[in-house]
Amino acid sequence: MLPSIHTINFLLPFFYVATFAIYFYDFQQGGKKFQNSKRLFLFLTLIFHFLYLVLRTVEFNHPPITNVFEIFTVLAFAISFSYFILELVTDIRRTGPFIIIISIIFQVISTLFIQDLAEVKEVLRSNLLGIHVISALIGYSGITISAVYGFLYLILYKEIKLNKFGLIFNRLPSLEILEKMSFFSAVIGFVFLTITIIIGVIWLPQAFPNIKFTDPKLIGTFAVWILYGFGLINKFLGKWRGKKLIMLSIIGFTLAILSTILTNFLAKSFHSFY
Amino acid sequence: MNLLGISINHHTAPVELREALHLNANEIRTFIQQTKDSAFAEGIIISTCNRTEVYAIPKSDKTSLKDLESLIKNYKSSFDVKDENFQHFISRESVEHLFRVACGIESLLIGDNQIFKQVKDCFQISEEMEFAGVLIRRVMDAATRVGKRAITETAISEGAVTVSYASVQLVEKIFSNLQKKSALIIGTGETGEIAAKHLRDRGIGRLALTNRSFEKAEKLAAELNTAVFPFSNFKEHLHKFDIVVSATSAEGLIITKKDIEEAMKKRNYASMVLMDIAIPRDIDPESKKIDYVFYHDIDSLNIIVEQNLGKRKSEIPKVEKIIQEELDSFFEWYHSLEAAPTIKTLRDYFESVRAEEVEKSINKFSENDKEKLEIITKRIINKILHHPTIELRKISESDVRAEDTAAKISTIRDLFGLNEKKEEK
Repeated sequence: MLPSIHTINFLLPFFYVATFAIYFYDFQQGGKKFQNSKRLFLFLTLIFHFLYLVLRTVEFNHPPITNVFEIFTVLAFAISFSYFILELVTDIRRTGPFIIIISIIFQVISTLFIQDLAEVKEVLRSNLLGIHVISALIGYSGITISAVYGFLYLILYKEIKLNKFGLIFNRLPSLEILEKMSFFSAVIGFVFLTITIIIGVIWLPQAFPNIKFTDPKLIGTFAVWILYGFGLINKFLGKWRGKKLIMLSIIGFTLAILSTILTNFLAKSFHSFY
Repeated sequence: MNLLGISINHHTAPVELREALHLNANEIRTFIQQTKDSAFAEGIIISTCNRTEVYAIPKSDKTSLKDLESLIKNYKSSFDVKDENFQHFISRESVEHLFRVACGIESLLIGDNQIFKQVKDCFQISEEMEFAGVLIRRVMDAATRVGKRAITETAISEGAVTVSYASVQLVEKIFSNLQKKSALIIGTGETGEIAAKHLRDRGIGRLALTNRSFEKAEKLAAELNTAVFPFSNFKEHLHKFDIVVSATSAEGLIITKKDIEEAMKKRNYASMVLMDIAIPRDIDPESKKIDYVFYHDIDSLNIIVEQNLGKRKSEIPKVEKIIQEELDSFFEWYHSLEAAPTIKTLRDYFESVRAEEVEKSINKFSENDKEKLEIITKRIINKILHHPTIELRKISESDVRAEDTAAKISTIRDLFGLNEKKEEK
């Protein structure tokens, strides 16, 4: 089974790049020629990726959520899968390239650095951890998609203000739709990050009795959570809208990514599993 | 194929002459009657505000394009129509030009799909007046196919190419659902009226009007079933609207940046679209600097129009390819209406039916009878086809007009489904 896992691991970035290429070509050309075939391409890539995750789970006797490079490949899958569902539900088909490129980044990093890991640290053998990671993955997918739609909102906003009626103007959905997509994705992201944190807080004293609450991971995570919470409350109260909320979503996403990089690779944190 | 065509359009005549020569439905009927009574057997007359075209098949080969021109000149004798105002087409050129008109690539606004409906309406009149024979019907079938293919297979009709539509396209890039939005139209002149009707057609949730002359605004409001505000205090209501379209003939600005700032504060900075389609402008362009205010004037809307026209122009080669395909297909059908190929197709068809039926039952016969069965069934087919074959040869050898021969042969082909049989092959 190992050679198959290595082959698929090598091929996955190419699959995502091919899917991205067809989505991007369709974005550039317009029309209806690739409307269905690009969706089929994404579907096949996701099936292929799912097969890879199942093979890894069977071969190494644990789900691929025990180190950062395993998490990255699941995250790449989760982001594209969320987009696939979003495209099916909303029938908004032209924003794919901007989401799939994020999956490419995560998958390429994972493909380059992932190792065949049969041994899992004892501390990571916990059911609570499984729920914590799955919830975190959905949450991160939510905030990633929210940030992408937010970014697209800002570009379209600027283009309309400056009377630039190019590709972005012609292909993207309306500002109102982009704002709604960004907002709903942020809400989903926030809800699942909240669940992730609650489970983490319950599990933490069991797994790391000597944990300090000044740990960089805890500070970073709480900062992101408070930022999103603050923005969403203001939105519900009708005080914030449009650009302001979207800037918050983008800053929140950037902080979340920086926090992950910092705590997993640079700082000394209990969360450094790689 | 002796189909003659003449056209007076924006390439050949000034707008005054084109307007003068425009024929309404009743005038087309009268004109068709005169055309039928003179030298033409069948045809179609297309008339819109931008073009008047006559396509007709003469009763005699001696009839020429000049006779067709004379019909128009005599019908509109009070206008000075010169020879150079006409474009002329014969046979394949006529069919090709009709196809080009039907799919909008000859229109002033390239890709205008209203012309497609207008051509179909004009054909309907020809049908009613019994002026559409087999050939014209077939030409129109093909023209309809060209029009539909051009719309579905190319982007020739995509994008707004008028300022009014461009403003609606722009609004739809900001708001997702116009049914939940409200719009105020300032100025109920022609431009304001068009804008109001466009928004109403797009399903705007709430529409209101204001105008210096209150009576004029009330009249349009009654027609569109909308609210009206007095011009003197409309600014007090500005914040209630998501879209403001201004199209007055005022000499100076009627809405300042301060007015918009105040309205935006009251709206809690919910997005607001300002469409200033007046010349000179009605709304202070500095308003565009306010967050969530989308200010656009004629110049910015014209950018959209020009871009879309450019895109449509780039689609013309694709449409021309479709036209050539349909022209080839039409003339392939037309040439099949000659006697010799029809006789062959008819005999092939009967032979295929005979062979199929013999094949089904051949095993029920003894070896000796099988040969007899072949001979007898072939003899039956030959006897059935003997008379039609002789008659078809006679038609082609007589002095009857080619179009009449084509019509008769077309009936035979339709009766036995010979065209479908050929396509199946």
